[in-house]
Amino acid sequence: MATTACFIIVSRNDIPIYESEVGTATKREDAAQLHQFILHAALDIVQDLAWTTSAMYLKSIDRFNDLVVSVYVTAVYCDIFLDLSIHTRFMLLHDSRNDDGIKSFFQEVHELYIKILLNPLYLPGSRITSSHFDTKVRALARKYL
Amino acid sequence: MEPDVSIESSSMIQVAVLPIGTVPPNMLRDYYSMLLPLHIIPLSAISSFYTEHQKSPFAHQPWDSGYLRFKFVLGGAPPSPWEDFQSHRKTLAVIGICHCPSSPDLDSVIDQFSNSCKSYPSSLVDRCFAFCPDDSQLEDGSRKGGNLRLFPPADRQTLEFHLNTMMQEVAASLLMEFEKWVLQAESSGTILKTPLDSQASLSSEEVIKAKKRRLGRAQKTIGDYCLLAGSPVDANAHYTTALELARLTGDYFWYAGALEGGVCALLIDRMGQKDVVLEEEVRYRYNSVILNYKKSQDNAQRVSPLSFELEATLKLARFLCRRELAKEVVELLTNAADGAKSLIDASDRLILFVEIARLYGSLGYQRKAAFFTRQVAQLYLQQDNRLAAISAMQVLAMTTKAYHVQSRASICENSQHNKGTGSSNADSGKKHHQSAVSLFESQWSTLQMVVLREILLSAVRAGDPLAAWSAAARLLRSYYPLITPVGQNGLANALTNSAERLPPGTRCADPALPFIRLHSFPLHPTQMDIIKRNPAREDWWAGSAPSGPFIYTPFSKGETNNIKKQELIWIVGEPVQVLVELANPCGFDLKVDSIYLSVHSGNFDAFPVIVSLPPNSSKVITLSGIPTSVGLVTIPGCIVHCFGVITEHLFKDVDNLLLGASQGLVLSDPFRCCGSPKLKNVSVPNISVVPPLPLLVSRVVGGDGAIILYEGEIRDIWISVANAGTVPIEQAHISLSGKNQDSVLSYSCETLKSCLPLKPGAEVTLPVTLRAWQVGLVDPDAGAGKSASGSIMRHFKEGISPSLLIHYAGPLQTSGDTPTNGSTVPPGRRLVVPLHICVLPGLSFVKARLLSMEFPAHVDNNSNGGHVDSQSKMDRLVKIDPFRGSWGLRFLELELSNPTDVVFEISVSVKLENSSDEDNVSASQDASEYGYPKTRIDRDCSARVLVPLEHFKLPVLDDSFFMKDAQTDGVSGGRHATFSEKNTKAELNACIKNLISRIKVRWHSGRNSAGELNIKDAIQAALQTSIMDVLLPDPLTFGFRLVRNGLESQNSDPDKESNTDVESPTSKDSVLAHETTPMEVLVRNNTKDLIKMSLNITCRDVAGENCVDSSKATVLWTGVLNDITMEIPPLQETKHSFCLYFLVPGEYTLTAAAVINDANDILRTRARTNSADEPIFCRGPPYHVRVLGTA
Repeated sequence: MATTACFIIVSRNDIPIYESEVGTATKREDAAQLHQFILHAALDIVQDLAWTTSAMYLKSIDRFNDLVVSVYVTAVYCDIFLDLSIHTRFMLLHDSRNDDGIKSFFQEVHELYIKILLNPLYLPGSRITSSHFDTKVRALARKYL
Repeated sequence: MEPDVSIESSSMIQVAVLPIGTVPPNMLRDYYSMLLPLHIIPLSAISSFYTEHQKSPFAHQPWDSGYLRFKFVLGGAPPSPWEDFQSHRKTLAVIGICHCPSSPDLDSVIDQFSNSCKSYPSSLVDRCFAFCPDDSQLEDGSRKGGNLRLFPPADRQTLEFHLNTMMQEVAASLLMEFEKWVLQAESSGTILKTPLDSQASLSSEEVIKAKKRRLGRAQKTIGDYCLLAGSPVDANAHYTTALELARLTGDYFWYAGALEGGVCALLIDRMGQKDVVLEEEVRYRYNSVILNYKKSQDNAQRVSPLSFELEATLKLARFLCRRELAKEVVELLTNAADGAKSLIDASDRLILFVEIARLYGSLGYQRKAAFFTRQVAQLYLQQDNRLAAISAMQVLAMTTKAYHVQSRASICENSQHNKGTGSSNADSGKKHHQSAVSLFESQWSTLQMVVLREILLSAVRAGDPLAAWSAAARLLRSYYPLITPVGQNGLANALTNSAERLPPGTRCADPALPFIRLHSFPLHPTQMDIIKRNPAREDWWAGSAPSGPFIYTPFSKGETNNIKKQELIWIVGEPVQVLVELANPCGFDLKVDSIYLSVHSGNFDAFPVIVSLPPNSSKVITLSGIPTSVGLVTIPGCIVHCFGVITEHLFKDVDNLLLGASQGLVLSDPFRCCGSPKLKNVSVPNISVVPPLPLLVSRVVGGDGAIILYEGEIRDIWISVANAGTVPIEQAHISLSGKNQDSVLSYSCETLKSCLPLKPGAEVTLPVTLRAWQVGLVDPDAGAGKSASGSIMRHFKEGISPSLLIHYAGPLQTSGDTPTNGSTVPPGRRLVVPLHICVLPGLSFVKARLLSMEFPAHVDNNSNGGHVDSQSKMDRLVKIDPFRGSWGLRFLELELSNPTDVVFEISVSVKLENSSDEDNVSASQDASEYGYPKTRIDRDCSARVLVPLEHFKLPVLDDSFFMKDAQTDGVSGGRHATFSEKNTKAELNACIKNLISRIKVRWHSGRNSAGELNIKDAIQAALQTSIMDVLLPDPLTFGFRLVRNGLESQNSDPDKESNTDVESPTSKDSVLAHETTPMEVLVRNNTKDLIKMSLNITCRDVAGENCVDSSKATVLWTGVLNDITMEIPPLQETKHSFCLYFLVPGEYTLTAAAVINDANDILRTRARTNSADEPIFCRGPPYHVRVLGTA
C-alpha cells in the first residue's frame, strides 16, 4: 500500500530546517505543497499543546482529510554562548495509523538530530544540509512507517 | 448552510433589504449603514405601535427586558428549502430602499416594490423606505399611503431617529403577525415539511408517521416564533413539548432542531450571564444536538441534513471559542472540516471553510485560519468568473500575514492602525520590525511561493493589475533563487503586462528588482574639505588637520573614524553623490527607467538616472542630488521606476536580507550571486545640511594634465582659482603639503590675499614656480649617491607630487544670522590643488673631477681673482701656448650625459659674492656672475664641462683654516686644539657650501625648458680632497707692474686689478726695447704673521732661457734681482723696485719666487712639507712682457 508521509523539522521562529517527503506514494507537486500547508497550519496547535504535557511524543494532534499530523517535541536546547533557545519540533504528516512505528521513528530521528546539534560547525537553528542525515531519515522512514 | 451562524441566530428575524429603483451604490451603502444599528429593537420601545388584537400567545413576553433581533440581508436571500424547519431561515420582512432623486415616479417605485416582494412569499411585513424626496414627491407620497414611507431630507441624526421609529413600527407589526401566526397554528395546525420529508415514499406507513410527527413539529415551530418574538420562556415551553413528541415519534431531525432552539432560548433567557454551569449545559445539549443530527442522517436519502450537523458544530465552536478551550474548539473544527468532503454543494463547503477560518482566526490560530482561508480561495478559483476571482484575491490577501508574504502596504496600514488606537505602541513597533525581518525568513518558501502565485493568478483573473504587479514583485524579489529563468521571465512579463494596464506613475509599496544597497558615501572630494574654523586664532584651520610628521597617528585615527561614521555635512546648493550598488540576480535584462535617492525630509533634490543591468550582474552607480535647505537629511532608500511602476526600495530591507543571508536564514544573497564582493555594512550617517559656503575650484592654466618636467627643470606655472560658490571668500591661506615640497620654489600667497574678498564667480591666477626633483631619488637623503649614476629611471608615480593647500573661508557671520552666537561660526574649507608633476630623467650627471692643470702664462692678467667678464678674455683663457710657460690652475670637470631625445645646452656660471671681509685690500667686489660659454649636448651624447676654480681664494691665510683643513683631511688632526671642533667644522662646511653654491650649472632645452643641475653633492665629493688648494690662498702673492712716466700702471695686483682693467692688453704691457723700464714687484703677505723671505726675480725669454743671469744676457737691469731679503708684515704688501733694459725685442716672462725663512707651522702645512728643514718655496704667476722695438 502506498503511504503518504511528509517529515519536517521545525526550529526557532517556526522555521523549517529540514523537510522531506518520505512516503512511498508517487509524488505530486501540489500534494507536496498541501502537505506543507497542513504542517504549517498544525504549528498553531503544537505551540499550545506542547506546554500541556510532559511527553515528547504528542501523538496525532491534527488532521485534514485523511492526513494526520503527529508531532514530537524535543527538549529546549539552550546555547548560552549564542543566546539561543531552540525549541525543535519534529512533525510528520502521514496517512497510516502505525502509532508505535511513528514513535520509534521520532525517537531515532531525535538521536540523529542530537548528533547534528553536537557538530561544532552546525549553527543551531540553521538548515540541516547533511546528506547523511537525509539518508538516515529516509532509511528510518522505510523501516518504521 | 448559512454564513455567520451562532446559537443565537435562531432568534433573529431575517429581513431582506432591497434597493428599489436605481439607488447609487454609495447611497445604498449609506442607507444600509443607518439601518444596521437597528438590528436590535427593545420590546419596550415598540409598545406604542403595538395593539393587542387578541390575547397574545406569548404569555411570558418580557416587555421590559426583551428584544426583537433582526438580521438584515442586503439584496435578500433565495427562499431556503429548510425554512419550515427553522423559522429564522424565512424572510419574514422586506424593506425596500428607494433614493427618490434617482427614481422620481413614486408609483413605479411602489410597483417595483410590490413586484420584488412577490419573490418573498413568507414575508409578513413589507415596507418601502424612500429617502430624500422632493416636495412634490412628499405631497404625492403622503397621499399614496400603503407601504411607502417617505423620509424628508434632514441631517443624519434626524434621519436615523426617523428610521428608528419606522423600524419600531416594523417590529411591532412583525410581532403582531407572529401572534397571528401562532394563534392560527395552535388552533388549526400547520403542515411543516423539510426536504427530508419530501423525499419520503408515499407509503401509508410514512403518511401515518408523518401525521404523528406533525404535532411535535408544530410545537417546535411555535417555539421558533416565540423565540423570534423575543419570548424565550414561551419558546422553552413549546420546545419541551416538541422534544417529548419528537422523541416519541423518533423524529430525530426535529428533535435536534427543538433541542437547538431550546439552547437558544436558554441563552436568550440568561442574556449576558455566562457561567461555567451554563457553558456545561450548552455543551452537553449541543453535543446531543450534533448527535441527533448525525442520527438523522442514517436513512439513505439524497438530501442530507449534514449541513445542520456542521452548522451545529460551528455554533458550538463559536460559543466555546476562547483560548482556554482551544483544544475543544480545535477538535470541533477538525470534525467540521472532515465533514466538508461529504458536502455536496460547493457553496456550502465554501461557507464551512470560511466559518472554520474565522473561528480559528478568533481563536488566535493564524496559521490554521490561513490554511482554511486558502482552501476558500481555492474553491473560489474553481469557479471561473471574475467576481469569484476578486473574492479569491481578497481572501488570499488575508492569509499573507500568516505566511509572511504581506504586501508592504498592508504592513504600513497595520502599524498605522495600531498607532491610531494607541493601545500598544511598543508592541506594534516590535511586531512591525518582526514582520519586516520575517518577510525574508523565507524557509516556508514553498508555501509562500504557492500563495503568491495564487494571488497573482487571482489578481490577473480579477483584473486588478496593481495587486498582480505587487504579487509578482514580491514573488520575484523574494524567491528568485527558486524560480527557473523561464519562470523569472514569465514573472517579468507579468509585471510588464500589469503595468501596461496601470496609469503611468502608479506607485506600489512592494519593491520588485533590483536589489539596492548603500555602497558608500564618498567623502568630500579633497577639493571640498570642510574645516572647522577656530575664530580665535589667526590660523583658524590649525588643529583640524592632523599635525605632526605622521599621516596617521593612533590618536587622531579614532577620532576621524567616528566623524566619518556619524556625521556628514552637505552644503546647500552643492551637488552631492551617494554610491549605491544594484544587483539583478535574475536571468533577464533589467532596465531601470529611473532611479534616484528617496529623501523624506524634503530638503533634497535628487537626480534620476537610467540604469540597465544585464542578467546576473551588479553595478555600483552614483546617485546625485542637491540639498536645498538647511536641516537634516535622511536617506532611507531609493525610488525606482522599473517595470512601469514606481516603488521605494529601502536600504534597511536589503540590510536585513543580507544579515539573514549571513545567518543562513535567507535563500541567497543577491549581491554575492552576482559576483559582487562582500561589502561591510554601511551605516547611514547623520547627514546635516549647512548653509552655503564659498567654494574654490582650481585649474592649472594651460590644462590640467600632468606637468612634464625634466629633472632639475624650473618652470613657472599659473594656477587659476575661482570662487564657484555663492558666498564670498574672506580669508585664505596657502600652504604646501605632500612629498617633494621643496620642488615648489615659490608660490604667491600674496596674490590671492590681495584679491580678498573673492566674490562669487571671481577668479585669481597664482604663479607657482616649480623645480623638478631628481627622478632617481627615492629618499632625498639616502639617494644622493645613487643619483650620480643617473641610470635609475623612475616613472611618474601618483602621490609623489606636492600639493598646494588653500584654506579659505567665508565671512564670519552670514548676513541672516543673529550676531550673537560665537560658537556657530560657519566652517572654512580646504582646497587641495595637487600639482601633477611628472619628472622625466633629463640631463644626467655622470661624475665630477677636480683637474689640476698646468696652464699657459699669458701676458695678460689671466690669473687669480679676475673680474673677467668679457668674452675675449674667456677665449684666451682656454688657449694654451706651451712655449710661454704655465702656471697651475684647477678645474672642476663635470661629465654630463644626455639620455633623452632632446638637445640640452649647458651653461655654467659662477656667482661671485662680495667677500665677507671688509678690509681695504679686498675692496669692492660686487656680487656678479661669471659666465662661461654654453655647451651643447646632443641626444645620447656625453659632454664634459670645465669649471675653473679660481675665484674662490680666501683673502687671508689663517691658521684657523689649517685647523679645518687638518681635520677634514685628517693629515694632521689635533695639532691645534685652540678652536672648538664644532665651530671649525661648521665654518669649513659653510665655506665649502658657499663655494659650491656659487657654481650653478644651468641647462636649456627647446624653447621653454630650463633648469639647473643639482650636483652640489657631487661637487662636494670631488672637491673634498683638495679643498685646501682651492680655497686657500698662497702665503705670498706676487705681482709685477710697470712704472711708467711716473704713473703707476698696475697690472697684476691680485686684489686691485678690477679698478684698472681698462687698458687693452697690448698697449698696457708692451715696453720698448733699448729703454730703461722701471718695474716693481709687489709681494703680499696673506698670512697673519710676519714673513721673512728672500725674493728672486727671473726673466726668461721665449725659449725659456734665463736672460738675466746667463752669459749671453739680453736684459740688463738695475737694482737687486736676486736674494732680496724682505720682511713683510702681516697682510701687508711690500714693493721692490727695479729697472730692466731689454736689448732684444720679443716676449719675456718675469717670474718672482721666494724662499721663506723661518717658516711657521701654518706655512709648512700649507706647503705640505714634512720636515722643518725643508725650505718653503713660493712662486708667483708668470708675468708676460712684450718688448717692442727693432733689434
